[in-house]
Parts: sequence; C-alpha cells; structure tokens
Amino acid sequence: MIGLVLSTLRHRKAGFAGAFLALFCAAALVCACGILLDTGLRGTIAPERYAGAPVLVTGDQYVHQDKIKKHKVKHKAKALAERAWLPVATADRLRGVPGVRSVVTEVTFPAEVPGATPGSSWGHGWESAALTPFTFAAGRAPSAAGEVVVDAATARTAHLRVGSRLPVSSPIATGAYRVVGVTREALPHQAAVFFSTGEARRLAGRPGAVSAIGVFPAAGESGTSTVAKSVTAAVRGTTATVHTGGDRGRTEFWDAEKARIKLISMGGALGGTALLVAILVVAGTFALSIQQRQREIALLRAVAATPRQIRRMIGREALIVSVGAGALGAAVGPLLGLWLRDRFRALGALPPTLNLVISPFPLFAAVLAAVVAAWAAARLSARRSARIRPVEALGEAALSGPRTGAARILAGLACLAGGVVLTLVLSSLNTEAASSPVTMLTAIVWTVAVALLAPIVARTAAALWGTLLRLSPVGGHLAAANLRTRSRIVGSVIAPLTLMVGLTGTILFAQTTMGHAATAQADAGTVADHVLGPKVPAAAAAALRHTDGVTTVTEVLHSTVRVGLANYGVQGVTPAGLSRTMNLDVRSGSLNGLDAGTIAVSGTAADRLGVHVGDTIRMTLGDGTPFAPRVIAVYGRGLGFGDLTVAHDLLAAHVDDPRADTVLVAGPAGADALRSAVRHYPAVTVLDQATLSKDRAAAGAEVNYVAMGLIIAFTAIAVVNTLAMATADRARELALLRLVGTTRRQVMRMLRWETLAVVATAVVLGTAVTLITLTALATGMIGSAAPYVPPVPYLAVIGGAAALAVLATVLPARLALATRPADLIGSRA
Amino acid sequence: MGMDDVVAMDAVSKVYGKGRSAVAALREVTIGLPRGRFTAVMGPSGSGKSTFLHCAAGLDTPTSGSVRLGDTELSRLNETRLTELRRRRVGFVFQAFNLVPSLTVEQNITLPLRLSRTRVDRARLREIVERVGLAERIGHRPAQLSGGQQQRVAIARALVTRPEVVFGDEPTGALDTMTAREVLSLLRETVDGMGQTVVMVTHDPVAASYADTVLFLADGRIADAMDAPTSEKVAARMTRLGAWNR
Ligand SMILES: Nc1ncnc2c1ncn2[C@@H]1O[C@H](COP(=O)(O)OP(=O)(O)OP(=O)(O)O)[C@@H](O)[C@H]1O
Ligand SMILES: [Mg+2]
Repeated sequence: MIGLVLSTLRHRKAGFAGAFLALFCAAALVCACGILLDTGLRGTIAPERYAGAPVLVTGDQYVHQDKIKKHKVKHKAKALAERAWLPVATADRLRGVPGVRSVVTEVTFPAEVPGATPGSSWGHGWESAALTPFTFAAGRAPSAAGEVVVDAATARTAHLRVGSRLPVSSPIATGAYRVVGVTREALPHQAAVFFSTGEARRLAGRPGAVSAIGVFPAAGESGTSTVAKSVTAAVRGTTATVHTGGDRGRTEFWDAEKARIKLISMGGALGGTALLVAILVVAGTFALSIQQRQREIALLRAVAATPRQIRRMIGREALIVSVGAGALGAAVGPLLGLWLRDRFRALGALPPTLNLVISPFPLFAAVLAAVVAAWAAARLSARRSARIRPVEALGEAALSGPRTGAARILAGLACLAGGVVLTLVLSSLNTEAASSPVTMLTAIVWTVAVALLAPIVARTAAALWGTLLRLSPVGGHLAAANLRTRSRIVGSVIAPLTLMVGLTGTILFAQTTMGHAATAQADAGTVADHVLGPKVPAAAAAALRHTDGVTTVTEVLHSTVRVGLANYGVQGVTPAGLSRTMNLDVRSGSLNGLDAGTIAVSGTAADRLGVHVGDTIRMTLGDGTPFAPRVIAVYGRGLGFGDLTVAHDLLAAHVDDPRADTVLVAGPAGADALRSAVRHYPAVTVLDQATLSKDRAAAGAEVNYVAMGLIIAFTAIAVVNTLAMATADRARELALLRLVGTTRRQVMRMLRWETLAVVATAVVLGTAVTLITLTALATGMIGSAAPYVPPVPYLAVIGGAAALAVLATVLPARLALATRPADLIGSRA
Repeated sequence: MGMDDVVAMDAVSKVYGKGRSAVAALREVTIGLPRGRFTAVMGPSGSGKSTFLHCAAGLDTPTSGSVRLGDTELSRLNETRLTELRRRRVGFVFQAFNLVPSLTVEQNITLPLRLSRTRVDRARLREIVERVGLAERIGHRPAQLSGGQQQRVAIARALVTRPEVVFGDEPTGALDTMTAREVLSLLRETVDGMGQTVVMVTHDPVAASYADTVLFLADGRIADAMDAPTSEKVAARMTRLGAWNR
C-alpha cells in the first residue's frame, strides 16, 4: 500500500504540487501567526528604567470583576489604558517594612527634548535615579527648578554638556533648562531627563501621587523574594501591586504590555482564519486532483481495491504531502514572523521593547495545522472517491462525474443556514472586539457554502452564461459547451476565486465602511475654522486663546475608560464655547453643563449601557480612578468622536500624556496668526482638511491590511494553483481540438471566454458575500445598513481576480499547446 | 445449466434510469458460463454486452434476477465483499486504461495481490510473465510499452490471482490485427494450457472465432449461441442479427 502511495506521489508530482504549495503556505502562515500568539502569551519585556530596583511597587493596572456563574466565582481582569498612580503615602508605609534598606519614589511625565524620538522621552526627579541606577559621568544633581541632568545618549545626539541650555517641552510647561549633569548610562528605548524633585512633581501634574516606588532590600538582591513578600503583605488592601524580575518590564512599558495582550487576540484570529482558509483551499486542491485521477481510481476499484483502501490510500498521500509541506512551511514561518514584526513595528503596533518569542511550539503547530488541513481535505474528497464506480474504468467511455452527493448538498444548505445565523448575529454586535472576528467568520462560512454548492452553482452559471457566450461563433460556443459538461471542475475553480473576492472585499471594505462612517461624522461634526495638532501642550492652547481673532479654543484629548469590564472610547473637550468648534449632534439633554461631574454619551453607548439623561454611570478612568458622572446629553456622532465625552481638564488629570491630540480653533483669525502663536512649539502645526481625514481613516487600518493581506495572498496563490491544475490536465483535450482543425487562436479564445465566465460568476458571488457581511457589520456598528465600497479599490479587486485567473489559465494552456498535438494523443495510459 | 458453470445468471435484468427515460439493457437473461471454456459475447452496439459482462463479474448489480459465481450469490454481497470477491476470484482485461501509470509492469501485475495483502508467489509470477512474453520489460512503466504489450500486462495481472474466470471487454478493441491476434492466442493458451475460464466481449468475428462458444446478444436478450465458431459463420450470423434488429 505505502509503495503504491509513494509511486503515485512520485509519478504525479504535478498533481500534488498544487496541494503541496497550498499546505506549505498554510503552514507558513499558521507558524507566523503562532509566533505572534506565542509572543503575546509569553513575550518578555526587559525592564530598563527600573532595572536597578529589585522590588517595584506600582498602581494596579487592571480593572477587576468577579462573575458568579453556577456558584463558582470567576475572576476577570482587563487592562487599563493609562498608567495607574499611587498615593505617596504608600511609600511611607513601605519604609517601615522589615528588611527594607531604602524606598525610592518616582514620577514620570513626557519631556520632549531635541534629538530624542518623540513619545519616548520621559522626565523624572533625580531622587529616582537609583531605580536604574544612573550615575554621573560629569556634573552634579539638579537642585534648582531650572536645572536638569540628561542621559549619555541624549547628551551625545543633542551635543549637550554641563552648562548647555536645553529646551524641554512637557504637558504642563515648556521652558529652557540648564544642564548641570550628564549620566554615564543610557537606556536602549527611551531618553531620560532628570529634574529637581520639586520641579519634577510640578511638571508631572499629580500632587501627592507617584508613578512607581522602588524598594531596595537591606540584604541586597538576595533578599528580593523575602522583602517582596513582606511588601505584598504591607500593601494588602490598597491598590498597590508588587513586581519583581521580568514582571517589572511589563509595568515599565505599559504600552508594550497592552500590545502584547492585543497580539494574543490578533495572532489567534489571524491563525484561525488562516487555518479555515487553508482547509477550504486544500480541500479544493485535493478534490480536483482526485477528480483528475478518477479513471485510475476506478481501475483500482475494479481490479481489487475496496472503498476503504482507496480512502486509506488518499489519506496516506495527504499525510506524506502534508508532513513535507508542513515542515517546509515551519522552516519559512519564522521568517514570515520576523517580516510581520518589522511591518508592525513600522506601523507602531508593536513596541520595540517587546521581543518576538520564537519557540518550537509554533513550528509544531504549523506542521500539525498542515496535517490537520490535509487530513480534513482528504476525508472530504475521499468520500467522493469511494463513490467512483468501478465500471468507469471499462472502455473509452467518457467519464460521467459522480452525482453531487446528497450529503454535500445538505452540508452546503447547513452552511447557508449558518451564514444566515452569523449574519443576524453580526448585525446585532456593536463592539469592535466582538464584531471583527465574527465578520471574518461570516464571510468564510458564506464562502464555504458556495464551495459546497459549487457544482450546482457551476451548472446554473453555465446555463446563464451559455446564451451570452454562444454569440461568439467558435470560441464562445465551445466555451459554453465546456462550462456545461465540465461543471464539476468549473465548480472547483469558482470556489477559490469566490473565496478570494469575498475575503478581499470583506477585509478591505470593512475598514472603509467603518472608516467612512467615522470620517463622515468627524468631518460633519468639526465646525471649527482650524485644527491644530498633534500633542499640543496646555501652554500652546493658552497662547492660542490669547491670539487676536480667536473666539474659542477647544482642546481635545482621547483615552479609554472601562464601564464594568467593557471598553469605551472617551474624549475630553474644553466645555467653554464648544458649540462653535464641535457639533456632536445632541439628541437629548444639553452639553452646557459639561464639568468635572458630568458626561455626554453617544446614542449607541446609551443603548448599550441602558442610560438616559439624568442617570449616573459608574466607570473606571484610564488610570484606574473610579468615576461616577451624571449623564447630561445623548449625542449622535459617537463613531466620529468617541462614545463618551467629558470635560478636558478632568480627563487630562487621568492620562499619561495630557497634551491635546488636536486643538479646534474658531474665530476669524487666519492660519498664519495661529502658526505664529504656537511658534515656540515646533511639533504643533495647523492641519489641513485632507491630512485630517486621512489620519482619521487610517487609524488602525494598516495593521489589519498587513495581517489580512497575507491571507488574501494565500487565496490568490490558491486561485492560480487550482486554475493551473485544471488547465494543465486538459492537454489531451486541447490537442484533440487542435487535431480536428481548431486553430490555436480559437482554442485560446475559448479558454479566455471560459475563464471570464468563471471570473464573472465568482465576482458576483464574492461581491454578494462581501455586501451581505458588510451590511450586517454596518447595521451593528454604525446603526445603518450602508456598507461603503469605494469604486476604485473594488474595480482593482475585480481586475486583479480576472488578471490572475486569465494568467493562470493562459500560461499552462500555452505550455500544453506547445507540444505537438499528435504526440499527446498518441501517448498511452 | 450444469453444475460445472463458473457463472450462472438467472433471469437477470438491468434497467438504467427511471420512468420514461428508462433503458432496459438486459431483459431476463438466463445463462451458464461453463468452466475451462473460452466464451465470446457478440452483438450489435448497444445490445447490452458490456452490461452483461458487468453484471456477470460483480462490477454492477442487476435490477432483478440472480448471479452466482461458483457457489456465491452476488446479490447478497455489499461493495466491500464484492471487491474482495473480485480480487480473489475474478480477473479483468479492459479495452484501454488497464494499467496504473505510476507503477511498473511488475507492480501492476501484482497489484491485486498487494491490495489483498497476499504474498507474491515469485515462481508463479515468473511463469506468468514468461507466458505473456514480458520477462524483459518487468521494470518498465506502461507509457514505455506498446498497446499490445500493455494488454499482455493486463492479462498477466488478470491471471496472477488464479481467478475462477477472466473477463475481457473488447480487450483487442484498440489493437491492430497482428497485435490483436497475439493477444487472442495468449487468451486461448490460458484456456488450453492452464484450464482458465475466459469470457470476452468483442465486435470482431475473427476474435470471436478464437472462442469455444459464441453468445449473440440482441436488444438485451440472448438471441443465439454457436459452438466451434469460424469467423465466416459468426460474421454471417451477425449480419442477420443486425438485419433483424433494424
Ligand atoms: N450508465 C448508463 N446509463 C443509462 N443507459 C445506459 C448506461 N450504460 C448503458 N446504457 C444503455 O444500455 C444499453 C446497453 O448498453 P451496453 O453498454 O451494455 O451496450 P454494448 O452492447 O456494450 O454496446 P457497445 O458495443 O457499443 O459497447 C444501451 O442502450 C445503453 O445506451
Ligand atoms: Mg460495450
């Protein structure tokens, strides 16, 4: 048996190459996704700034909730968006703990200096230098408010030495400081600027709070675990949490930690989608290769093979091919993983501090995925092969394809039903976390239904296109006949094409649908005359307010809060004169009373939370502070501006970086006047409408495009694969046509017509899948059943599908026609 | 119908399709095929020859009636049992596409043994390979053989399991006269020299003349039988059969 399998594999290399390629791509994809997932689960983030503090105490970075399910208490924790600060009193409490030598407190705030990467330059008080520890290369500690110490790398890039003047921009104030010291050390991923203790506290803007506390055991490093235990006991009952070892890195780089958590869901979703698509694609390739061996299988059946033996033979073929393809895919997977890492880093979705974990698990998972996909595919196609009747081996009689099995039709109908259910579910989902995986799943289930019902679809398509094709006398006529009689093969080509069009459409246009709705709302709701950004310090906003011709300045700041465990986007806006810069489309209540104790809520959020004007919402702000504001208004433009709106000053006190993301300006002042008002803040510019819209639409979309682009590429490979297989197998038929007097051009025209009919069918079906899925998505997320499909990308998708299909048909056909027809017809067996 | 029949068919009918499009390919055929004899089946195109062979060999199940192979009633067997029966007790030679292209001549010949996990009897294999005159081509693949040689490989495969009966559906249909004659002589030899039972469907009166008995099928019925046929007598009978048919 195994001998038969091996010689079949050797002999039919071309036939198995398709399945091999599909499995290889699947394995590489699954491996890369596995690496992302693994990084998410076990990725380590090395501490830099806190590397010298054996025990680190910080605020609790999670929201907790106990869910009671069937008498079992299930504890759930969700990450906060911002850094949670601690009351400075916690440090006093720790000083008395036995075994503690010293306790060092720390404040952290953004401090941009020339030469450092924006967003990764932080200010601290010199008293916390021991946390790293930093020591002096030159100079002394800052003692006056106007003095700073800079790290070695910053000093080098900005050419600073003791006595230099350094402009520092922090959210509270911007000013010039005198460098009084340069450290010996530098940190790999951040710049450090040290102020005097008092100045640091002032710039941090959180009186009485510290961002972290370092605890040094009296016994040195060796006393870490005992002291950690006593410290944990000492802070029990407060919000403080205790960290040692690698755990400190996660606390230090909270962004990286959030990215790590995101990688888990992204890696999982991507890997799952890849696996589903792989099974679909590989099943198609296998089914096709079995169809092409129908006569051989019929012969085996007639001579002596039981249906079981045929199934087993196909299963073993699949196993051998999949182990080979899986191993190769696992070898390439890490490279793909590294490529993804670089792309994500470039897009800012993966912080440089989070290292990729490459362990054997994803490699094994890749091989396993290939084997599972091949096994499932072999199972599915072997069902059909066992139905091939032995009498078909007899004589030269044209092979009648086995009828479409009742089980297949039933499965297809079940998938249709599943598609309907998922579509309904999707149309009721209104959070992005829930809707994005369901969107992909819905599109895939619809496509699986099309794949299962492909023979019927192909017959219907043949009937529909037949009349049209017959208008072309030779090529079209032949094409129509071929579509009708080869409906089974045509079906197996339509399936991957539909998958490609449907998935590409869903991925691309889910983004545009969501982006378009948000952009449209944001554009309509921004009634200000000018918009400035990014990262506008309070002082810059104040300067704008004092500019002639400016009537209103609205600072806008974004963050995320949690109501219960659920995430809500929140914007903080300056309440004064808000109606002159921003129109949220208030449906009930009024924004007039927006202050530190009130909130405005979007219509969708109000529905989800079940609140009305006058109700109170209990929530946790980004830094872990509980907040229970009263609802004063419900507004319509939640997608464009965020689900919740609070007063700017309130929100600014609870985020890591209180600088405004944008500042809206109303009044007759011209752009030049504004520019000159903010001339001391070189990073702040007047944004034009085009960049603004683009920035809004692009947020988060690119990461999705990169990840899902791989899956689209995979389906494209599958399309080429299947078409090439189907065409290469027709060498004999094409030779016969040539022998009976069909010219080469007529043959090629026939093939082109066939392919175009197939592409047209797939485009119709794929578009239907896209529109159905996106309508459901739009209904749930936007509240209106209006998917947005921009025509140019859509035409590009269609054109791409058609070009791929024609190419994958014409090239193998040319090869087939290059052989002398008589040689092909003459070749035996 | 004697006890010495290898295949016994009793009132076998086969109807393809249903309702108005139904075609009766066999109508109440009752016949015994004697052991150790060479039987040819002739008839006009569409008269039901292939259907007859398929039903007799357990490749297809009749709509009604019973088929016995030796003392086994075929209608009681499921597809797996039928397959097992075919691989132990029946050999096949088809008109074309007889061989698995990826296997060598030897592997093709021993395929039924391998599928039934039976040890290959080397002496028997050598004897058969020599008898069909392919001792030198044993390691070749089908694509490297002529049409006649391919048919001889198929005959060797049909004989290797020592079957009770070898069925052929126009085994010489795709061969030229000379090559066809070689293949027919080979079949004749297996009957004379090894006591093999052979049942062969053919169009060709010359091919039929190699048989001991010729059965004539017309419109799904056995119209006639002829012992000690010659090609002239068979051709004359066929002409009349064709005329009646019209
Ligand atoms: N699978 C089938 N479905 C429907 N009708 C069939 C099928 N197979 C055979 N028939 C019909 O049954 C009748 C007998 O067919 P069969 O193949 O047995 O004829 P034959 O004598 O072998 O013909 P030929 O000499 O042309 O091979 C014919 O009318 C044929 O059309
Ligand atoms: Mg026939």
